[in-house]
Amino acid sequence: MRILALTTAAALAAVVASTAQAHGPTRKKIEETVQINAAPDKVWTVIGNFQDMSWLPPVEKTEGKGGNEVKATRTLNLKGGATVDEELYKYSAEKMSYSYRITKVDVKTLPVNDYSSTIKVEPDGDGKSKVSWDGAFYRGYMNNDPPPELNDEASQKAVRGLYRTGLDALKAKVEKGS
Amino acid sequence: MAPRNPTGGRRRAGLLLALSLWTSGAAVAAEAIVTAQGDDRIDVVDLDSGKVLAEIPVAGSPAGIALSPDRRTAYVTRPDGPGLAVIDLDQRKVTSLPDLPGGPLGIGVNPRTGAVYAADWYAKRVFVLVPRDDRLARDGEIATGASPSGIAVTPDGRTLLVANREGNSVSVIDAETRRQTTLIPVGEHPFGLTLDPDGRRAYTANVVSNDVSVIDLAEGREIARIPAGERPYVVALAGGRGFVTNQYAGTVSVFDRTTLKALATIDVGDHPEGIAASRDGSRLYVANWGSNTLSVIDAATLKVLREIKVGDGPRAFGDFLR
Repeated sequence: MRILALTTAAALAAVVASTAQAHGPTRKKIEETVQINAAPDKVWTVIGNFQDMSWLPPVEKTEGKGGNEVKATRTLNLKGGATVDEELYKYSAEKMSYSYRITKVDVKTLPVNDYSSTIKVEPDGDGKSKVSWDGAFYRGYMNNDPPPELNDEASQKAVRGLYRTGLDALKAKVEKGS
Repeated sequence: MAPRNPTGGRRRAGLLLALSLWTSGAAVAAEAIVTAQGDDRIDVVDLDSGKVLAEIPVAGSPAGIALSPDRRTAYVTRPDGPGLAVIDLDQRKVTSLPDLPGGPLGIGVNPRTGAVYAADWYAKRVFVLVPRDDRLARDGEIATGASPSGIAVTPDGRTLLVANREGNSVSVIDAETRRQTTLIPVGEHPFGLTLDPDGRRAYTANVVSNDVSVIDLAEGREIARIPAGERPYVVALAGGRGFVTNQYAGTVSVFDRTTLKALATIDVGDHPEGIAASRDGSRLYVANWGSNTLSVIDAATLKVLREIKVGDGPRAFGDFLR
């Protein structure tokens, strides 16, 4: 599958197609991090509530139930009307980390399948924090020969973009002290 | 665990013996041979120090692993080769890269004959390869159910078991005639397959039905189904307990091998896949594909003792401890 990630050259389309024929999709992962000039506790106060994703710019409203208990659910209402349903499967205030999966999303909103993700805060020396956000997922199209908007590259790009947007906004919000 | 310093106190008198032990592999400290699929490499991890001793580049997204009967050679599947890699574990280098068609993923070794069995994930067959003049030679194939995955061979070398992921079954195969003798229905999409040390019971991790099938080989049937977590992947056995990696839950489920009931759940890293027990049964080692770590679990207290950093996308699907 490496070849899919490395090239979109039309000249190699035939090779790519035959590789895809043999393989189908493989699971991908993305991790993005940010350093924040604030203590981990302070960062966790902002992101540690599973029922509040207001720090993530595209989210207009978070509705859910179950608090921060395993199996808690939430629906992210995005600006523009799309929704993402998610379920919590690991939560540790002590480790400042939680893990969730997407239970329902339109591939037009986020082109992924079987998506799960972990976000965590760690000390990064000198009163600073490091926030890591990672995800594991399959591309938006589970069969062979995906359309370009649902292939491995598109799904990785979308997830990376989401994490980057979120982490950079989180950094700005926490450092501004709002 | 083998002594770290094989020469010990009786340095002179013991030197020759120690050297011979060393070269026979008997005094090798416990090691994990981890397939780091995302980095296209094999990490050799010293389990006493928790240090990566060697990083061996292997192209083709290495995933499955099995060891030769003398534990000195690793056979690794490369689904994106496609093919295998043969690794000399004493020299820590690749000695050959046999090509195979299809998508080799699961792999096992016959403990008596040394024959290597590699399952073709995209077909209904297992390739047979035999060591010959320091090389691994293709020697036919065996028909199985759909999407063969985990492989195990009984200690007497006479019976090969293959989990058929899409077939929801386990093929029991006579290793000599290479024919399936029994087809045992199990849970949905069995992936890892683990045999107990006396070859009486086999366990499959069923990724879709979220449980473990317990097979009695003499009876040739599934005798119990034990609930596991989300997306169970592989079962390991230590003492009177079984340990199951749950890929999507990020946990290891523990069950009792006598009562066949679930006992506990242990949080490990992200997307745990391969799991194996140390020879003395005191530790479990779990390869976490998502977090790029090995979790070390105390088999008695069920606590995670430490996390060892390894390469990207560790899978270690198979027999990866020596």
